[in-house]
Amino acid sequence: MFNKKVSINSPRNLLFLFEILSLFLLLVSQWNNIEKTIYYIWIGLILIIYISNYLLNKISSGDNYIFLIVTMLMSIGIIMIYRIDPNLGMKQLLWLSGGIAVFYLTYFAIKLIRGWDRWITLYIGASYFLFIMTFLLGTRKYGAINWINIGGISFQPAEITKILVIFIIASYYNKPDVFKKYRYSDYILMGIIYSFIALLFLQRDLGTALIFYGIFLFVQFIYEEKRKLILYNIGLSSIGAILGYVLFDHVKIRIQTWIDPWSFIDNKGYQITQSLFAIAEGGFFGTGLGLGHPEFIPLAYTDFIFSAICEEMGIFTGIGIIMLFLILVYRGFKIALNQNNKFYKILAIGVSLLFGIQSIIILGGVLKLLPLTGITLPFVSYGGSSILSSFIALGILQVSSEDINYEGEEVVE
Amino acid sequence: MYNLISILFKYIFIIIIYLFIFSIIRLIYLDIKSINTITLEGNAYLKLINRRDSLPYKVKEHYSIDDEITMGRYSDNDIFIQDPFVSKRHFKIVEDEGAYYLEDLDSANGTYVNNERIEDVVKLSNGDIIRVGNIEFLFVDRG
Repeated sequence: MFNKKVSINSPRNLLFLFEILSLFLLLVSQWNNIEKTIYYIWIGLILIIYISNYLLNKISSGDNYIFLIVTMLMSIGIIMIYRIDPNLGMKQLLWLSGGIAVFYLTYFAIKLIRGWDRWITLYIGASYFLFIMTFLLGTRKYGAINWINIGGISFQPAEITKILVIFIIASYYNKPDVFKKYRYSDYILMGIIYSFIALLFLQRDLGTALIFYGIFLFVQFIYEEKRKLILYNIGLSSIGAILGYVLFDHVKIRIQTWIDPWSFIDNKGYQITQSLFAIAEGGFFGTGLGLGHPEFIPLAYTDFIFSAICEEMGIFTGIGIIMLFLILVYRGFKIALNQNNKFYKILAIGVSLLFGIQSIIILGGVLKLLPLTGITLPFVSYGGSSILSSFIALGILQVSSEDINYEGEEVVE
Repeated sequence: MYNLISILFKYIFIIIIYLFIFSIIRLIYLDIKSINTITLEGNAYLKLINRRDSLPYKVKEHYSIDDEITMGRYSDNDIFIQDPFVSKRHFKIVEDEGAYYLEDLDSANGTYVNNERIEDVVKLSNGDIIRVGNIEFLFVDRG
């Protein structure tokens, strides 16, 4: 059976098989009390995924692996979220369908509208506007003021700012000569990015601040001609990190619980120790879906979803997830290398860095390899704004994987 | 009943996830392999020295030379580069009994081989640097 399936389009079929089997497992678990809506939505989403993977090869001349990888990641995620909390699972199914729609919207918007590289002031303005909105309307959740609640729907503006930051950096490094006319333009760019990081620090959203810094540093490392700026950047951030540790208690707690969570097991270190217990409990093959106790892990459906997956589906699935992210980031850099248009090249680098850094920070956090900062695992965790922004980023990457040839058209014969 | 199926399924899920990863890596491997074979055809080729992303127009990393190759701004040239310094038909390289000769086609800005502007025809040897405007090619002859 498997020999027949390993053909050219086999990853698509394997993914389909995986989703059908998970549906079957759900059916068995609810045998006495079947709730119909979930099946309709799940089957609908499976079909959307299958058709999308098929159609994308026809629509887009670019890369056709990234969407496959991402749909596999989100399938693993949704199974786990539904198992932990069926209500959240339902919402997540809707978010994922919305996410795929947003992916196509972004794809066509980026592709058909030209001049994305000329609107740097708009991106900067929009970013500051979102920050101001967060401070005015924001509510505090899990120690960070990064949620806005409008009409019952709450979302994290920082998720959108992440994309805007990539656009700001890409527009700047696309044509540095244009900005070099103004004196200290490179310092101004650094100032803007650092002001974002400082604002995030005030919101206590350390994980996102780290993502912004990482993307900026790596793109600067690749494209900045004044090499000393990179040293300034590293120096400034080291000073900032030390100051943050001394001045802010919440930073200090993160470091302390990272070095030794066992002394604080009853309060501050509870999350991380529960996460480690869960991963150890699962072993190589896991306890089996529905047979573990992911409800003991706090926030098992967002930040700690990796631990919950490791407990019930095994370390092997965990390693699989890490490998999927590795291939995704690898594809992203490959896309960037093949792209001729510099603006889209930097966008592709930025998006790959976003996926890479975000997954490293949270995976490292739950495994106690890095201090824990609360961010989501892209495509796997529960969360509307996180899913939508990740799909926007993926749409950008999909456009970047195609041949873009605007500038050649302007040559006068 | 459910427990038994769940335990069975966890193995199946892991197998499927790994088969999925394996098949994607295999496809990527085939993809990369096909790229390498294209550039290795032919004995002699021109290699672009400039970093490709520093040039604002489409240009390939390698151009293999069979019998004759022409370069210019018009799209009917083998190497066509939309740079204002490049003439419509700029130069051509011709193979004759295993040797390669570069001929400037009366271009406005000239063709430079190892930083000397060439008149008429010049014989190329392995490692010569051909410059047109800002674009530099390395001539490689593995014959």
